[in-house]
Amino acid sequence: MRAIANAIKTGFAEIWAHKMRSVLSFLAIAAGSVVFIDAFSAIFATYARLEQQKTTSGMARLKVTQNYSQTYSSPDDYVPPPVITYDDVIKLREKMPDFFMVSPEVKDWHNVLEYEGRRMVTNITGVSHEWVKRDFVYKLRGRFIDQHDVDNKLRVCVMVRKSAPPPTNIFFKSMMKKWNFTGGFDTLVGHNDLLGKTVKLDGFTFTVIGMLEELPFSKRPHTILGSNQDYKVLAPVTTLTHHNIIGSYQSLDVNIDTGDERGFDEAQRKIKNFLKIRFGDDEFFVIENQLELIKERIGDSIKSSLVTISLGMLAFLAGGIGIMNVTLATVFARTKEIGIRRAIGASRGDIMLQFIVEAVMLGLIGGVLGSAIGYLWGIPIKVMVGMDPSQIKPWMPLVSVFIAVLTAFIFAIYPAWVAAGLKPADALRAE
Amino acid sequence: MSIRCADLAKVYEGGKSGWPALRGVSFEIKTGEFVAVTGPSGCGKSTLLNIIGLLDEPSGGKYEFNGRNVVSMTDQERSEARLGQIGFVFQSFHLLNRMSSLENVCLPLLYAGIDSREMKVRASSLLHKVGLKGKERKTPLELSGGERQRVAIARALANSPRLILADEPTGNLDTASSREIVDLLFGLNAEGITVVMVTHDKEIAARAGRNIKLRDGRLEE
Repeated sequence: MRAIANAIKTGFAEIWAHKMRSVLSFLAIAAGSVVFIDAFSAIFATYARLEQQKTTSGMARLKVTQNYSQTYSSPDDYVPPPVITYDDVIKLREKMPDFFMVSPEVKDWHNVLEYEGRRMVTNITGVSHEWVKRDFVYKLRGRFIDQHDVDNKLRVCVMVRKSAPPPTNIFFKSMMKKWNFTGGFDTLVGHNDLLGKTVKLDGFTFTVIGMLEELPFSKRPHTILGSNQDYKVLAPVTTLTHHNIIGSYQSLDVNIDTGDERGFDEAQRKIKNFLKIRFGDDEFFVIENQLELIKERIGDSIKSSLVTISLGMLAFLAGGIGIMNVTLATVFARTKEIGIRRAIGASRGDIMLQFIVEAVMLGLIGGVLGSAIGYLWGIPIKVMVGMDPSQIKPWMPLVSVFIAVLTAFIFAIYPAWVAAGLKPADALRAE
Repeated sequence: MSIRCADLAKVYEGGKSGWPALRGVSFEIKTGEFVAVTGPSGCGKSTLLNIIGLLDEPSGGKYEFNGRNVVSMTDQERSEARLGQIGFVFQSFHLLNRMSSLENVCLPLLYAGIDSREMKVRASSLLHKVGLKGKERKTPLELSGGERQRVAIARALANSPRLILADEPTGNLDTASSREIVDLLFGLNAEGITVVMVTHDKEIAARAGRNIKLRDGRLEE
């Protein structure tokens, strides 16, 4: 213990006496620490997001869509393919009561929205009350479309109010402003509280029963499959088809969450079977297996995490080699001192300890410095330049310092061993 | 305290067959002796002293330190012997310049694991003994040559050794300081410490109880 205390004292003196050399070597380790913290917080952010995405989007997801790639040998063979109607969705729901979600969705573009004499082009999405179950990234004011609305084809609608664009750098913001991506609809809902008001959609009067306010980017739950669909007006799918706002030739997409990954394949088979029985041929529709996609995304995340971790480790390796270099240089510069210490009775172990303690101190200083820089970079600086702050957990700097110290220790063993191996008489002769 | 050398040889590596520094030296040193090792430059005096002080190993012959063949000693045992039984005084002092004289004297005590309070008491009393009272905080660079050598002697005495090995301790000193240092060493010898001193100075050699003369790596008696 006393030997270590002495080694620490000598180490301080030595580090102080060779400031430049010491600074360079602990900067190398500090760089390792910074990269490590950045890498780890990135990985953590990725995993946290994945977890959130899983709860928001669900895992056992399927999507039934019309098969657009059906081919016909000649134009004469063409028969309009069958479409999925809301009645089909109800039947499907009856057959599969255990599913977490069976949500039909159909979108129409270029609809006319009229409010207080102003008209603008918008798009309308026909949905059922099950739409809210997955990928819901909004705050709801008022109420959402319920089963009563759907069953009775009520003329009610819900409007989506966009949040500010995701935080980006100043350059991007000015570009956004210049090009003005926000259209008339966004301006309308942005500046008027439409909740409870009546609007006209393609000439039909609708009551706005709810407002979906998109949460700001940083607070919004993330979805795996991306909620980049441009939702503006949502209304009961039955109402829209009833009033022919959605043409009867338009097939509904059906978003399904079977609710359980384990019965997923079985569920998929059942849906296929259902479609075959109902439409005579299951080739008319495609069942997109989104679980595979989700798994792929997760796999990609893990791969990129490994790359990031190895980057952090490489940075430490570079720092470690720096420490090793400096320690070796110190050994050669202090050969005479080693000789003196040996002459007055220091053992090989004492000498080894001396150099290892010095290197570990460099590692410790570098680790602490690097963690501080990593923290500053990860939170205040990133916020200042408009980036998302890193998710730095309290243990990350601690682990980073520990790894810095460990790296220094490991890389000091060889130089320390060289120092301890010097013959006392030879070392004393050195100049 | 006994030193017994028989046919001691040392060959330094280099060239085809190496460079012989000692070619068969036999002698014995008993407790309480003051031995001056003399001879021209390059005759192997320092090599001999290094071997006696367990800093170097002989390449031939036999050296018994306290009745024990040094070849059979481990590095740890040699280190312990240097720490507790041998004190070195060198021509160029070999002090650590960034430490104070007190810290320099403390160093062997530190390796011996002495409690820090006792260490300081002992070190300052040793500095007092060699006549450096009040200079505990000075670094070697702030001291004169004679004073530096006194610090070195105090350091050599730290763990109460029974053998002092001095390698031309007056080689870098003026006449007055030399006399003081030599007197100090004779004083220690009078206290019962065995002293082996390499020197060029015939006057000092004449004062020693016994002379070992070396020439070309051999004894010349």
